[in-house]
Amino acid sequence: MRDSYQEELNEVLGDLVGVAGAVSVSVRNATRALLDADIHLAEGVISGDSQIDAACSGVEDHAFSLLALQAPVAGELRMMVATLRMVSELERTGDLAAHIAKIARMRYPESAVPDGLRANFVRMGEVAQKIVTIAGQALKERDVALARDLLEQDQEMDDLRRSQFRTLLGTDWPYGVEAAVDVALLGRYFERIADHAVSLARRVVFVVTGEYPDEDVWAQADREPAGHSWPVTPATH
Amino acid sequence: MAQAIEVSDLDIYYGDFLAVQGVSMAIRPRSVTAFIGPSGCGKSTFLRTLNRMHEVIPGAKVRGTVTIGGQDIYASAVDPVAVRRKIGMVFQRPNPFPTMSIYDNVLAGARLNSRRLSRSEADTIVERSLSGANLWNEVKDRLGKPGMGLSGGQQQRLCIARAIAVSPEVLLMDEPCSALDPISTSAIEDLIHELKKDYTIVIVTHNMQQAARVSDETGFFNLKAAGEPGHLVEFDATEQMFTKPSLPETEAYISGRFG
Repeated sequence: MRDSYQEELNEVLGDLVGVAGAVSVSVRNATRALLDADIHLAEGVISGDSQIDAACSGVEDHAFSLLALQAPVAGELRMMVATLRMVSELERTGDLAAHIAKIARMRYPESAVPDGLRANFVRMGEVAQKIVTIAGQALKERDVALARDLLEQDQEMDDLRRSQFRTLLGTDWPYGVEAAVDVALLGRYFERIADHAVSLARRVVFVVTGEYPDEDVWAQADREPAGHSWPVTPATH
Repeated sequence: MAQAIEVSDLDIYYGDFLAVQGVSMAIRPRSVTAFIGPSGCGKSTFLRTLNRMHEVIPGAKVRGTVTIGGQDIYASAVDPVAVRRKIGMVFQRPNPFPTMSIYDNVLAGARLNSRRLSRSEADTIVERSLSGANLWNEVKDRLGKPGMGLSGGQQQRLCIARAIAVSPEVLLMDEPCSALDPISTSAIEDLIHELKKDYTIVIVTHNMQQAARVSDETGFFNLKAAGEPGHLVEFDATEQMFTKPSLPETEAYISGRFG
């Protein structure tokens, strides 16, 4: 009885790690589709998102039934509760990657990224991929130190976004309103991808140690970049 | 008056055999403390030292101190019967006195303890105790009927009524629900929750979910090894024990992984 329960717990964790891997690929491909104006890659990310969603539902159902039937406690309880939260972080990250791919598709054959912000978006894409990959690795290896390292990476993401805003709100913005909207949305998507990864990493720390990391420090990761205001906040959470 | 229990460095013997070693803990008044652990780890044995019932077995003895309300219950001048009068006990199997009515069962302890009770005093104690045990409404019209005619869950509540009829300071319960169905179990658990307003309750249970549901603090007992004495592994707030125990041994036991 308990043996098969252990197997099932490992299965849930394995499936969650699998979802994290798929999401990481999705973020990478969406970034490339955006920067290279690659319509095929963009289509792949958009259609692949429904598979990620299905895998997420699978993990959720499995965790739910283990909670109901096996009444896990202590470390196993933390794992299951955190799994239910982490899977929704991952699902949301997959959605955001699909949003990025949709903007790339909409502007095809042009690139949705204006030349003047290309370097900025290249770096944003790199940081997003890195954060998502590290979060997945921290989850897979239950590596608290790795999870804590994410904070620094997220700080760079916030700095990049702040710099985008400066360009965007400058009096000499040459690319028109449409491009401005794209940039604002894309920046928001990448930033949220990083935030979800940080949140996932916090839960890894919780699973392993039973405590959330220092709230003050980690709360900064979720804060909006300072020094700007933008009238429209896209409906992403 | 509910009293605090302080146990310090208690060793419990059956003859020469050391059954439980080195238990120290502080049990708060008006709280529920649960003991969990595998069979044979000494949790029931330990419970029975708290009202000096352990020494009823020939050769059984203890070393160390147990104080209840600041008083050493093993001090030489203390009469064990006086200790048991202040500390009620409820057992695994409901054990109403078979020849007695419901009414007389409730009064059994009170009659042993005191001078003759007047009819009105007796009536008051019976109603108060049965109400306290959440049984009054079910039996008030048949108080003269035998206690054995009740259902298992009702019999157990009758035993609780009998235990609280003498106004004890502490209530010990040794697996009080293990012979009961889930509905009766739930009734007893609700009752435990109410009783802790007035009593210090210590409960031994094999049902870890029950420990999690009813207790404020949980102690985990285990054997050091086969043939070795039992000992208290970890003692902490119940929520802590079930979400983030300090020791891997505790985590393994409550998660159902053994060895």
